[in-house]
Amino acid sequence: MAVALRLLLSLVLVTGLTLPAFAQKPSFTVGWSVYVGWNPYYYMAKSGILRKWADKYGIAIKAQRFDYAASIDAFVAGNVDACVMTNMEALDLPAASGIDTTAVIVGDYSNGNDVVFARNGATFKTLAGKRVLLVQKTVSEYLFERGMVLNGMESQLKQVKLVNTSDSDIVTAYMSDASATGVVTWKPLASQVAKMKGVTSLFSSSQVPGEILDLAVVRTDVLNRADGSGQKFAKALTGAWYETMAQMSGPNADKVLTVVAEAGQDTLASYKEQLATTKLFYKPAEALEMTRSAGLKEKMALVRQFCFKHGLLGKNVASPDDVAIRYADGTVQGKKERVRLRFETSYMQLAGEGKL
Amino acid sequence: MSFFRINAVPNRTTALALSWSLFVAGTALYFWTSHQRHVENPEDRVVPSLSQMVKGMSDAALKPDEADEQEAGAENAPLWQRVHSSMLWKDTLASGKRFLWGLGLLFPAAIIGMHMALFPYVGTVFLRFILFFDKIIALSVLPILFIAFGIDELSKIMLIVIGVTPTVILDAFNLTKGVPPEQIVKGFTLGAGDFTVAYMVVLRQIWPRVLNSIRLNLKPVALFLFSGEMIASTDGLAYRIALLRRNLSMDVIIPYVLWVALLLFLVDFGMRLLNKRLHPWFREA
Repeated sequence: MAVALRLLLSLVLVTGLTLPAFAQKPSFTVGWSVYVGWNPYYYMAKSGILRKWADKYGIAIKAQRFDYAASIDAFVAGNVDACVMTNMEALDLPAASGIDTTAVIVGDYSNGNDVVFARNGATFKTLAGKRVLLVQKTVSEYLFERGMVLNGMESQLKQVKLVNTSDSDIVTAYMSDASATGVVTWKPLASQVAKMKGVTSLFSSSQVPGEILDLAVVRTDVLNRADGSGQKFAKALTGAWYETMAQMSGPNADKVLTVVAEAGQDTLASYKEQLATTKLFYKPAEALEMTRSAGLKEKMALVRQFCFKHGLLGKNVASPDDVAIRYADGTVQGKKERVRLRFETSYMQLAGEGKL
Repeated sequence: MSFFRINAVPNRTTALALSWSLFVAGTALYFWTSHQRHVENPEDRVVPSLSQMVKGMSDAALKPDEADEQEAGAENAPLWQRVHSSMLWKDTLASGKRFLWGLGLLFPAAIIGMHMALFPYVGTVFLRFILFFDKIIALSVLPILFIAFGIDELSKIMLIVIGVTPTVILDAFNLTKGVPPEQIVKGFTLGAGDFTVAYMVVLRQIWPRVLNSIRLNLKPVALFLFSGEMIASTDGLAYRIALLRRNLSMDVIIPYVLWVALLLFLVDFGMRLLNKRLHPWFREA
């Protein structure tokens, strides 16, 4: 008993001594995972940009790296306040689980980063009955379906045998198994597949630009905290993001990008190759234009139909309208009383005006 | 307090109540958490309520798989037919097949272990290698497994074999070494040949312990099977769990996990019963 008490006491002392600053400041966590469009968070935290902006708003922000799926789990469970994810996952994971989610930064879209490959000269027309490796129920499957539809093969979709393959092993699995005709994956994995003999690219996200968006999302309840700290968090995060973007496209870009590439144990050359097929919005104005465009609604309509068709919006959802999306202009796609995903442009707007 | 008395004798009712108390506490804690989360967010999927899980599971067990809804689909088909075309049934069948293959291959492994312990030449050939092989973490050499065995059924079964057989071989080896040498000598003096001694004297008496050893390895078998299915597959229980995880469908995952636990328990129970029937003289648990 005495030992336990002493332990407890020392613990209290230690935390009391080392964390006095955090005790008063509201603190927030942003979860990120390794991907070309999200690796900048690594640089943002390492270079001190994030701390600088947090200090400016009198809050503390921690950037925590996760595996992608785990980061979203943490976001849904409420363990992180903000997280990076694609538009599709924002819709079918947090939003569809009843977590009101607000996208504050539209960072980039995949412009060739996600690719459908096939070997031995197979095409979309001949894929029926063949095996295709991919991570099911993700943007990979979305891209594959879009490819089939745009090639007029929608009716054959069910005839293709999809093999759910973990992304950590998908390259070796495809390499070693000649019976798998197709594979859908993303860079940098896709770059390795592209180098294989007899493998050709059938389709890529550059043919459906703007449909696979990478967002930074914040829990709406955090954003609307009564003390206003949530707003400060979003402002600090947006400010830090665009300062990072400016440095990545500035005169010292290579130096910055080398650090960014480090986030994924990658080299500068390989990271640049990924950037080439990513439409990264370096300036707030570009992101705003995309987020305010009518095209975004059409693209989200495709995404939500896909999610609904695959049961990703939940079992009890009778129509995609039950997980409604609110756009920057105030229009709502779906039922007005069931808005779960919001595109919020005010922070990017402030960043663009230099008012953060 | 009688809790810390070695000589304490709990009566039947107390024993019953105590043995279930942790189950009750765990279940209560779960549903309390679930309730709290649902008050906050009625659509919560992370800690589903009982009714969500019942619905999720009945859909899984009674509704046709999404891949072939057009073929079955009939809501009023007989119960057996509905179960038969359900995703739970198909997944269980697919995983069960792989599981039994993996399990079946553990028996020859035990025989190899016995030979290694009994026949010095066999032992010198295999022992060192298997001791080394036992320490290889199978999951970390997956790419090699893929290249050697493809990504189909074979690679999943081989993952089980590589992961679990060395343990069984070494265990059978030790058990054989534990047979008193006098018995072997006695067998020879009574005129038995090498193989009669091996199979009629040694194997007979180590067999119940070998069965036990295989039984205790059911969990690793299931673990390797699940890893394999999560890496690349088109069906199976772990395939479904991996897919549902993307979708945070804990309302189906939790019943699935309980279902797997039940199946494992039944296999374990069956093997224990079999062991008792085959070797009534064997008293170890």
